[in-house]
Amino acid sequence: MKVNLEYLEGKLESLDGEELMKIKDNINCLFQHCIQALGEEHPIRVVNALQTLCALIRGVHQKNKSTSGFDIINMLMGFDKAELCMKNLMESLDSLLCAEGSESLKSLCLKLLLCLVTVTDNISQNTILEYVMINSIFEAILQILSHPPSRREHGYDAVVLLALLVNYRKYESVNPYIVKLSIVDDEATLNGMGLVIAQALSEYNRQYKDKEEEHQGGFFSALTNMVGSMFIADAHEKISVQTNEAILLALYEAVHLNRNFITVLAQSHPEMGLVTTPVSPAPATPATPLGTTPPSSDVISSVELPLDADVQTSNLLITFLKYSSIVMQDTKDEHRLHSGKLCLIILTCIAEDQYANAFLHDDNMNFRVNLHRMPMRHRKKAADKNLPCRPLVCAVLDLMVEFIVTHMMKEFPMDLYVRCIQVVHKLLCYQKKCRVRLHYTWRELWSALINLLKFLMSNETVLLAKHNIFTLALMIVNLFNMFITYGDTFLPTPSSYDELYYEIIRMHQSFDNLYSMVLRLSTNAGQWKEAASKVTHALVNIRAIINHFNPKIESYAAVNHISQLSEEQVLEVVRANYDTLTLKLQDGLDQYERYSEQHKEAAFFKELVRSISTNVRRNLAFHTLSQEVLLKEFSTIS
Amino acid sequence: MGDTVVEPAPLKPTSEPTPGPSGNNGGSLLSVITEGVGELSVIDPEVAQKACQEVLEKVKLLHGGVAISSRGTPLELVNGDGVDSEIRCLDDPPSQIREEEDEMGATVASGTAKGARRRRQNNSAKQSWLLRLFESKLFDISMAISYLYNSKEPGVQAYIGNRLFCFRNEDVDFYLPQLLNMYIHMDEDVGDAIKPYIVHRCRQSINFSLQCALLLGAYSSDMHISTQRHSRGTKLRKLILSDELKPAHRKRELPSLSPALDTGLSPSKRTHQRSKSDATASISLSSNLKRTASNPKVENEDEELSSSTESIDISFSSPVRLAPEREFIKSLMAIGKRLATLPTKEQKTQRLISELSLLNHKLPARVWLPTAGFDHHVVRVPHTQAVVLNSKDKAPYLIYVEVLECENFDTTNVPARIPENRIRSTRSVENLPECGISHEQRAGSFSTVPNYDNDDEAWSVDDIGELQVELPEVHTNSCDNISQFSVDSITSQESKEPVFIAAGDIRRRLSEQLAHTPTAFKRDPEDPSAVALKEPWQEKVRRIREGSPYGHLPNWRLLSVIVKCGDDLRQELLAFQVLKQLQSIWEQERVPLWIKPYKILVISADSGMIEPVVNAVSIHQVKKQSQLSLLDYFLQEHGSYTTEAFLSAQRNFVQSCAGYCLVCYLLQVKDRHNGNILLDAEGHIIHIDFGFILSSSPRNLGFETSAFKLTTEFVDVMGGLDGDMFNYYKMLMLQGLIAARKHMDKVVQIVEIMQQGSQLPCFHGSSTIRNLKERFHMSMTEEQLQLLVEQMVDGSMRSITTKLYDGFQYLTNGIM
Repeated sequence: MKVNLEYLEGKLESLDGEELMKIKDNINCLFQHCIQALGEEHPIRVVNALQTLCALIRGVHQKNKSTSGFDIINMLMGFDKAELCMKNLMESLDSLLCAEGSESLKSLCLKLLLCLVTVTDNISQNTILEYVMINSIFEAILQILSHPPSRREHGYDAVVLLALLVNYRKYESVNPYIVKLSIVDDEATLNGMGLVIAQALSEYNRQYKDKEEEHQGGFFSALTNMVGSMFIADAHEKISVQTNEAILLALYEAVHLNRNFITVLAQSHPEMGLVTTPVSPAPATPATPLGTTPPSSDVISSVELPLDADVQTSNLLITFLKYSSIVMQDTKDEHRLHSGKLCLIILTCIAEDQYANAFLHDDNMNFRVNLHRMPMRHRKKAADKNLPCRPLVCAVLDLMVEFIVTHMMKEFPMDLYVRCIQVVHKLLCYQKKCRVRLHYTWRELWSALINLLKFLMSNETVLLAKHNIFTLALMIVNLFNMFITYGDTFLPTPSSYDELYYEIIRMHQSFDNLYSMVLRLSTNAGQWKEAASKVTHALVNIRAIINHFNPKIESYAAVNHISQLSEEQVLEVVRANYDTLTLKLQDGLDQYERYSEQHKEAAFFKELVRSISTNVRRNLAFHTLSQEVLLKEFSTIS
Repeated sequence: MGDTVVEPAPLKPTSEPTPGPSGNNGGSLLSVITEGVGELSVIDPEVAQKACQEVLEKVKLLHGGVAISSRGTPLELVNGDGVDSEIRCLDDPPSQIREEEDEMGATVASGTAKGARRRRQNNSAKQSWLLRLFESKLFDISMAISYLYNSKEPGVQAYIGNRLFCFRNEDVDFYLPQLLNMYIHMDEDVGDAIKPYIVHRCRQSINFSLQCALLLGAYSSDMHISTQRHSRGTKLRKLILSDELKPAHRKRELPSLSPALDTGLSPSKRTHQRSKSDATASISLSSNLKRTASNPKVENEDEELSSSTESIDISFSSPVRLAPEREFIKSLMAIGKRLATLPTKEQKTQRLISELSLLNHKLPARVWLPTAGFDHHVVRVPHTQAVVLNSKDKAPYLIYVEVLECENFDTTNVPARIPENRIRSTRSVENLPECGISHEQRAGSFSTVPNYDNDDEAWSVDDIGELQVELPEVHTNSCDNISQFSVDSITSQESKEPVFIAAGDIRRRLSEQLAHTPTAFKRDPEDPSAVALKEPWQEKVRRIREGSPYGHLPNWRLLSVIVKCGDDLRQELLAFQVLKQLQSIWEQERVPLWIKPYKILVISADSGMIEPVVNAVSIHQVKKQSQLSLLDYFLQEHGSYTTEAFLSAQRNFVQSCAGYCLVCYLLQVKDRHNGNILLDAEGHIIHIDFGFILSSSPRNLGFETSAFKLTTEFVDVMGGLDGDMFNYYKMLMLQGLIAARKHMDKVVQIVEIMQQGSQLPCFHGSSTIRNLKERFHMSMTEEQLQLLVEQMVDGSMRSITTKLYDGFQYLTNGIM
């Protein structure tokens, strides 16, 4: 029997509390019948049942936003039967998802689950989910992700569902989905998950690029595109911003919880080929007896990338970096601020991971990553084509430098800056520890950091009102200390060490100003006393360098009668006078606090999940899977 | 083992008078023959004659066997198994057998005039002389191959076919290309003589099967396409690939066969079984039957059986065991093909890495690298280490392959997959001092207690935690002496004695550390392989092992292989064989010449794999990267003139130079530019790329007329024209030439056999072999030879063409 969804939903909504209580028995009955119908052979009955369930859940919830979860359970199923009811429901969904059934049926199952998960704004208040925790559908989700055809169809929904489920009461209780996700080690599954995420992110990147080109494109292309795609692209952009948070959350959870997922980041995939994933189902080979051939070797031949010379090979990490570079460009609107922050958190997790660092710094894995750079007045848009192929860590550093130079604004994103400097610091710690000599133009980083210091000082009063700028200043100064003290372990050449000194000496005014500022605040008894005095101590070596070399340079200039020394001349002075300079060994430069979500970030994630839930709920399109399509499909089957 | 037991069985029945199918005019003895040639309605004189020979052989063998067992085996069998050795390696008084044979021949083959004539030609005196030779201890595989090739006598050929079983596997393996080429391109008798051995070995070893299948395909490819399809080579290839030649131990379980084989069943029973199998298989297996007829081995019969109803269940039960390996090779080749379509080296490298990472997902598998010398399973391809090699339009690439050595490829289980991220167990800080600073240095400068690496604990999974702020007691144990001071936060610093460091020291350490590794090459996107090849092999192995999830396993090994797609490696294989032969000749004659033959796997006429020479980079790369002359580079790498290291490197250089000069002269190796000459870490030079040898020369520009390449730079390394080392060099050349001349046949034979049916450019023209022989100067006295060497050296050095050719290469290919 066909369901009139709109009517059902509307009717439930129109009833007030009293009336609803009256029909409670009816709803209970309907709910149970629906669950029974899920076991039916005939797909149309199953479809109807699923849709009715969706409508019931949504309807009852919409009516009772304020009431507690227990009342809703009571309303839907009745307390006494709730447990059994939900058990049956989850089992039926599980078997439907795992069975070799219709794809649209599976899709509908996922939609029902998403609907169930997102009915409340705050996922942790959704008491029904307690049953989803008890009757886990984790394995079903994994199966969808590991199986290429089903992954293509439902991967996105499955990943979003998983990300949401993981966030159910993650700080208060033991969430079985967290536990299970953290121990998954099946590569096919993890890869499948990675592919879904990469696909979503690169789709966003592609759309952004198209739009950008459209803006820049000449008159002709503007004209041809104006009518149709402009509006669509705009609409798309909005949607993708919303939905990508969910995907980003999934990426975060995977990176944060699952150690094995890190390898997936480096897994290659051709960038363009994603839309039509090349992995074809392996042709069924006759069963082979045990121990003679591993099943894997049969399908070696199916591992072929599409033959296309233009396709640049990429991997999830590259896609993610590109995505981050787009998202971080603009952090004004709240969604984007969230996304930008999440990107930085993910990067923090990556920068802490040993394996991730190993491949980030792998000299043999060179890539050309085209990061998106904000067009700015005072600089030209860098030509993409000339980018050299470098280890991936260079792209991460570039991204951080890019962020540093582009966000010195009145609405100062302090939190993001702190994270950004932390990422750089963590990478440096790895390089120091493993003696990786990265051929990177460190100078760009140094001057970006000095400019940031300058900005902090010139906006001291405004910023101090809102933030503790000394933490950030201390971190920046300590980055310099890291270079000064441990430069021998990770700088690529002796001359890069000279350049560091040159840059410090050249910009000595900034450090002088910083010193006088922190000195002033640390001598005053004020709330910043301690924070500021930390910075004064941290500046000791930088000041030593400045005080040591400046007189030498001046006298060199005086002796040689030069008013303005060239860079080469300064470097010469620097090289000649190292030996008389003594530095103080500072502590803890190469140590950092590990990222931990539990306390500091809990509020952020709660907020993020709330906004994701809202978006997912809004976008849940039941009616896209219209009755007609389903009917047509099943009439041919049955 | 079980398989080899099969062989003796048929000998007995065939030689006993058996009531075979009636209608044989040749008497009961000929029953087998008629069976064999049954499908030929008219008895071909050739066939009949051959058949007679066969019978004789069998009789001889039988008698021989009996004789031996009574006398005790004088001829030891190297890799056979006790049971059949008696029969195979007969050691009977030859004359007696010959007499018998002649008698028999007279009676049996009297019907055909031709046969009789032949027999008369083979007078018994000559035959017995031959047989004495064959049975002597001196008779080695080289002679066997030579007689197999030169003898027109089916009996001799069949005999040698049997004798092959007595040689060591490795010895015969060396001549596998020759054997198969003979099998493909020479007349049927030779083929029939060889086949049982091949089939036997295929059953024993999967690697051998693969090599055979590949070589058969490659050497058949020069035939016309129509004849190729029906050629013996193609058929044998199909047989091998069809996987009917399963390992013998499985066969043994076949109930109908095993009692017969193990106990050596009575003749009558055996015959009965045989006819039964004929009955079932006669429709489809006429060709097989022919082979049986002409050969004393029963191998063929097993084939028949396996395809007959009796054993059909077995052939179904086992999967195609070569399939995984062929898929593996196919996907490597497919990668090469796809890489060739990409325009830049950089893109190729990236693509290669990502393709290999996908390939990794399918490993470990029951696949192996045929160039390796031991049984193993491939478990992982460290994809980030792979590099694209320098080539203009093709895309050869070098991959490293992690394998686990195993006892037996077939019986050992394929290792379980270990996920990629389980590698962190061994990335230890212990290794850091090597690339970093010694603890004294650091300690001195920081005035700290040296405890740099007293912490044996590996940097394990969670160890990045060391970097984070931890409790003080953890830090007192930390490996990093600097962080010893880092216990407290900065604020508490004043309370402690401050530690001072000199900025000059930091700067100095930085430059010292970089100076310590001057020999590493710089990364060059246009030449990605230079860096990879320059890295010392041991270091690379260690590094990859650390990074591998399988690295902790004791049987972990690293192999490397160059995958060539679009190149014909058959000439390379020929060159390898000649080099190997020369190497063993020089070793045998105790001439200290040094050459490095590198293994070749011919996959098809236009693809293959090469075992890379480790620790070696091309002279072109050396010169480009170091911007030094060769001598200065030697001084930089090994130390000044008087150091032990330099002197031994110089000696190595001279010995290898002399070796390769001779090789170049004898084989007429052309295209000798600096990109084709490698220099290894010990100072040896190694010539690679034997694409132009013997009768072929690049573009026929008439360049490179000198005997070999000897530039002034080379002479400089040897210490100049007047130096002792240069005289030593010339003396080595003379000794080497004399030694090679002594064993000329062994060298020429390799080349000559491969010329059969070949379209390879190195055999172009009709005088290839004659010219090759002439270059050994058999007629010269040693004094004359010495003069010749002097002349060649002189001529090569003064050769303007060498210089011209280098200039030409520089202009066209940018090779320095």
